[in-house]
Amino acid sequence: MTGPADPATRGEPAPGDSPSAGTAGPAPGRHSDCRAVAFAAKLTGRPAAPLVRLLRAELRFGLAGPRTLITLAVLALVPLLIGIGVGARGPAGDALAAAPGPGPGLIAAITGNGLMLPISALRVTLFLLLPLGVSIAAAEALAGEAAHGSLRGQLLAPIGRVRLVLVKAFGVFAVAVLEVAVVTAVGLLAGLTCVGGGGQLLTLSGTSVGFGHAMWRVAVAAGWALLQVAAVGAVALAVSALTEHPLLVPAAVLGAAIVSGVLNVIPSLGWLRPVLLTSGWGSITDLLRDPVPTEGLTHSTLLALGYLVVGLAVAVAGTLRREA
Amino acid sequence: MSPARRSGGTICTRPEPPDNQPTPTAGPGWRLPGPPAARVRGLRKVYRRTVALDSVDLDVPAGAVLGLLGPNGSGKTTMLRLLLGLARPSGGTVELLGQPMPRSAGCVLPHVGALVEEPGFLPHLSGRDNLARCAAAEPLLATAAIPNAVDTALRRVGLARATGADRPYRTYSLGMKQRLGLAAVLLAPRKLVVLDEPTNGLDPAGTREVRRLIAELHAAGATVLLSSHLLSEVEETCTHVAVLTTGSVVATGELAELLEADGPALQIHTSQPNAALAALRAARIPGYTERGLVVADLSDTPPELVLSTLVHAGVPVAEARRRRTGLEELFVQLTEDGA
Repeated sequence: MTGPADPATRGEPAPGDSPSAGTAGPAPGRHSDCRAVAFAAKLTGRPAAPLVRLLRAELRFGLAGPRTLITLAVLALVPLLIGIGVGARGPAGDALAAAPGPGPGLIAAITGNGLMLPISALRVTLFLLLPLGVSIAAAEALAGEAAHGSLRGQLLAPIGRVRLVLVKAFGVFAVAVLEVAVVTAVGLLAGLTCVGGGGQLLTLSGTSVGFGHAMWRVAVAAGWALLQVAAVGAVALAVSALTEHPLLVPAAVLGAAIVSGVLNVIPSLGWLRPVLLTSGWGSITDLLRDPVPTEGLTHSTLLALGYLVVGLAVAVAGTLRREA
Repeated sequence: MSPARRSGGTICTRPEPPDNQPTPTAGPGWRLPGPPAARVRGLRKVYRRTVALDSVDLDVPAGAVLGLLGPNGSGKTTMLRLLLGLARPSGGTVELLGQPMPRSAGCVLPHVGALVEEPGFLPHLSGRDNLARCAAAEPLLATAAIPNAVDTALRRVGLARATGADRPYRTYSLGMKQRLGLAAVLLAPRKLVVLDEPTNGLDPAGTREVRRLIAELHAAGATVLLSSHLLSEVEETCTHVAVLTTGSVVATGELAELLEADGPALQIHTSQPNAALAALRAARIPGYTERGLVVADLSDTPPELVLSTLVHAGVPVAEARRRRTGLEELFVQLTEDGA
């Protein structure tokens, strides 16, 4: 009973990945470069597992662990607690006038204004919990796998190293999508049920916006937050590619976020502000004004895209250099 | 960033003219012609200031079962990691299945099954799920064939449902982890199997099963390269041996030849050694006594002639056997001389 004799395990390249379909020379009888003859039998070109199969395996086995579920549960608690807290205080605390900025004032502004809750919840979680969740996923993706020794198996299968980073980045992005979706959806539900507000969004500028338009603003806020979280995820993946200690990844990411928060408020270092990712995170509250000032949102979006590209590039470089 | 590091986007070149040998079938396949399954020349690996390997040359003949022997810290695992493209050499060249590594990893590794260092799996997944995850990454496995391949591999290493295939990996004993690592090697048909101390942590029954697996792979035509510090394991399973000490290969060759390095000889146990020596001398067969045994040199004489000479001379022969240097003796001799 041997593997090669078992017809079920006989190596037939998966559909769409046939070497002859991809890299073979024009004449069928001719050996292309990649259909090299090793000894006695041919190496069948450069086979690779289908990408969709790898992505599905990453979602099913890499992410569907207890870690992701706990992260999502904690994230769901934030809008829920805000909703319950604000709802319990009742409509009496109409502190809108005293709340132009972020922080507790923003929470107070939710009172009787349920559609503001999802955006406020994104704002609150963006400063700690969303980056934490995504960097834990990124830590597991490369550094954790290296620590478990399972990265070796993936490289030996083989999954090409660039491909491996793309698969892992896809997994981290999927976690970012789930996180932002949970905060937004629970925020929306909690806002509409615990807080209420009559289907209107009362902006910080004092105007009121209809339900449809408010939903559009919530969607923009979610998309913007997703990009910011994805940028953090890319940076975390870069750190993850450079270390074998998974704990280092959330520590480095949160450390960097805190340091950049400090740098942000030192006046003589004002020139640094345009390149600090966290400096743009306050601009999500712009979506609660009327009309929406777009300058901060645009800048932070471009900044996040830059971090995303640089993070992925470093992650690829680190993985190519890694000795597993 | 050296381009040699890239495992994607490279094109494998054809190194040898195609030889029209039939596909290896059952039987001792290591006499097959063709390039070696692995060829290492001048390999060197330096970690910061530690020289792990230095100017290593090694051929693993196609179809052989080669045992890589060496004391702890002699560079066995480093060597295997360099062979498989997991680490970059500081100097020298590595060819696997006739292709340069690590450049051709994408072409070569689908045909290679390897268990290097301790088995590595995700602790929160069951053994079966871990194996399914590995199978998803195997290029030579069709998607539809995955469940069957996983079941077959689990069964072959003795990790059936009842023995814990569905338990989380973190609850596994050392032996079960090792078995799961072997199962991952068996997921796809292989031309070369690399095993780093495969019987680590296994009970005697498990050790026997590993030997059986190696014999099965060998019979199916695969080349097996295994590292071990267990001499008995190598002596029983391997056709070839390479001995590694402090980063260099000090001996390599067929096991039988290495064990008869002093030349073929027959050891004869007799109560009259002097009469035996006289009879051998009369028949012009070189002989001498060693630790109370008469040793007859077989370089030019068949063993049958030695025995008939002795019996006709009236020498009582209690026992006669081929002299073999014990592998342990050879190992100690080689590794201590090298140190």
